[in-house]
Amino acid sequence: MIDFKLFQHPQRYIGNEWNVIKKSHNKRIPICLCYPDSYEIGMSNLGLRIIYSLLNDSDDIVCERAFFPGEDFNNFLLNNNQKLFSLETKTPLANFEVLGFNFNYELNFVNFLYILSLAKIPLFSRARKDLIVLGGGIANPESLADFVDVFYIGEFEAGTASFIEVLRKYKDKKSRLEALCEIEGFYVPAFYSAELKNDKYEFNKIYSYAKLPVKRTYVSNLDKSHYPLKWLTPHTAIVHDRVPIEIARGCPNRCTFCQARAMYYPYREKKAETVCRIIREIYKNSGYENFSLLSLSSSDYSQIEELIDILFAEFKQKRIGLALPSLRADDILGKLYSKLHLLRKTSLTVAIESANDSLRNHIGKKIDIKKLFETARLIRTFNLKHIKLYFMIGFKEETEEDLRAIGLFLEKLNQETHLSLNVSINVFVPKPFSLREDATMAEKDTLLDKINIVKNGLPKRRSINISISPVEKSILEAIISRADRKFSSVILDVSKASCNNRNAAGNWLIWQEAMSKNHIDCAAYLKAETINFPWSFINTGLPECNLKKHE
Amino acid sequence: MNEQRFLIKAVIKKSDEMIYFSQIDLGLVLERALRRAELPLYFTQGFRPRVKLSFSRALKLGVEGEEEVTFYFSKNITPQELQEKLKKQLPHGLTILKIIE
Repeated sequence: MIDFKLFQHPQRYIGNEWNVIKKSHNKRIPICLCYPDSYEIGMSNLGLRIIYSLLNDSDDIVCERAFFPGEDFNNFLLNNNQKLFSLETKTPLANFEVLGFNFNYELNFVNFLYILSLAKIPLFSRARKDLIVLGGGIANPESLADFVDVFYIGEFEAGTASFIEVLRKYKDKKSRLEALCEIEGFYVPAFYSAELKNDKYEFNKIYSYAKLPVKRTYVSNLDKSHYPLKWLTPHTAIVHDRVPIEIARGCPNRCTFCQARAMYYPYREKKAETVCRIIREIYKNSGYENFSLLSLSSSDYSQIEELIDILFAEFKQKRIGLALPSLRADDILGKLYSKLHLLRKTSLTVAIESANDSLRNHIGKKIDIKKLFETARLIRTFNLKHIKLYFMIGFKEETEEDLRAIGLFLEKLNQETHLSLNVSINVFVPKPFSLREDATMAEKDTLLDKINIVKNGLPKRRSINISISPVEKSILEAIISRADRKFSSVILDVSKASCNNRNAAGNWLIWQEAMSKNHIDCAAYLKAETINFPWSFINTGLPECNLKKHE
Repeated sequence: MNEQRFLIKAVIKKSDEMIYFSQIDLGLVLERALRRAELPLYFTQGFRPRVKLSFSRALKLGVEGEEEVTFYFSKNITPQELQEKLKKQLPHGLTILKIIE
């Protein structure tokens, strides 16, 4: 038995949360969900909880969890020649039949390989005998094609039943993968070839029963889809320490830079009464004191007023906190004005993206600046102290004037409202499946120049806090998210470097070195004004995706 | 404070896996257990109300120990009711040893 008090935050490794599911492995198919980031971040992920609960609902499946360990625990495993194990039954990861990984953040790809090596599992798909590595939450899976046996493209709730069926019916890796590749949503990279010929990717099936294109799947009825009611409740605070209640999935807006719109397409809602039933049930099972209503744009939820009224009436006595993120400024002026004070809310977040009206229209962001000013004045009456604003720079059509407008806008807003402003300025990354996937990413020097223009125009006031995303990190995200199969050798090298340097994944120089060693020209991934990409074999189901394929 | 409040003192033991949780965590665990037990809760005042609890002293992290906890309720409940309802909601490693008053 390991003495967990040797480590910082021992609760990361114990696995005794309220509602944790512990089953014996006897005559069951063991699956471990691995999150390539810390416990605190992973436990804030809704997808992990939905899949954990959904898989464990089958009596013949036992689903457990593992996370990227802290430095001290990592060193302990290495020094004692121990393998990374699951939280629930402390079973080494190598003893599971399936390991599921979430790949929603590119810089975590390195942690994924690191977890495999800590568990002493071969990194390459072809080198593993029985164990299946399943990947999900990813837009473009190609840079991981050599390491992952099968990806699920889309929402796993839609494929869970058929996945379990295959695991029951077939017992060896080869027949399992062959059966999976015939089912919609499952992508087995080894059954396809992807080659770059004359600047165009050619995709071909190697195994004739595989599907091409690979169709992204989704839950058709969100109202009836599975929700983890026996909420896993850690005995300690985690990053987002509230229960997210998904009220809608997808987004009806068309912001051109947005990838989430494609990843969660189409827009679907849960009924207000379903949302209330879920909250009531989770509260009874967990005793959680904070809930947040989750969606990409809660302003678009059709029953928003009704929902807030019912929830507030029911939970006021119990002092339950309700948060409503992602509101549009015009809703606060309009229908939600009288409801806002009911919510426990200390700030308003507005993703304004650009201070210039025409550029904002150009990128598809519908925000009325006049209304924002009115709203800002209004929210002072609710005891709100600050506004969080998001800007995005690095668009092709952006002028110096647009960049300077950010500073002028902030100064005016701050002067007129006396609210403190938390401003976050991000760099535009042309993500796969966004409406701007065919845009060229601005080069590093151009971006640095642009940032300087913005910085010089910023008002120097204590009540305005500015954070600017590091350019190199954004470029890395762009490269990894847009990469093809050749890039796997780079990820492998950076993962090896992370054995000695835990911060390797965020270090531009280490990536640069790995790219030049493997003869990868990253500029090729970033210059992409074409209609054919490494990820073009996937059909997201978006209307414009179908149009493009016919061109 | 206008609201009436009723106090029950109890001795709670921390053992097994629960020894790895801090004093702040213990407050959180008890608050959620009380909420699950559907007992008549008494809340602290202020912007972010919490279930009111007080501890006689803080227990060390990583070792077994006992401590006195004062529970506050908005209605009068019997010590037996507290013990019965709360017991079912406590994680393995937290035990009510005795009710003092």
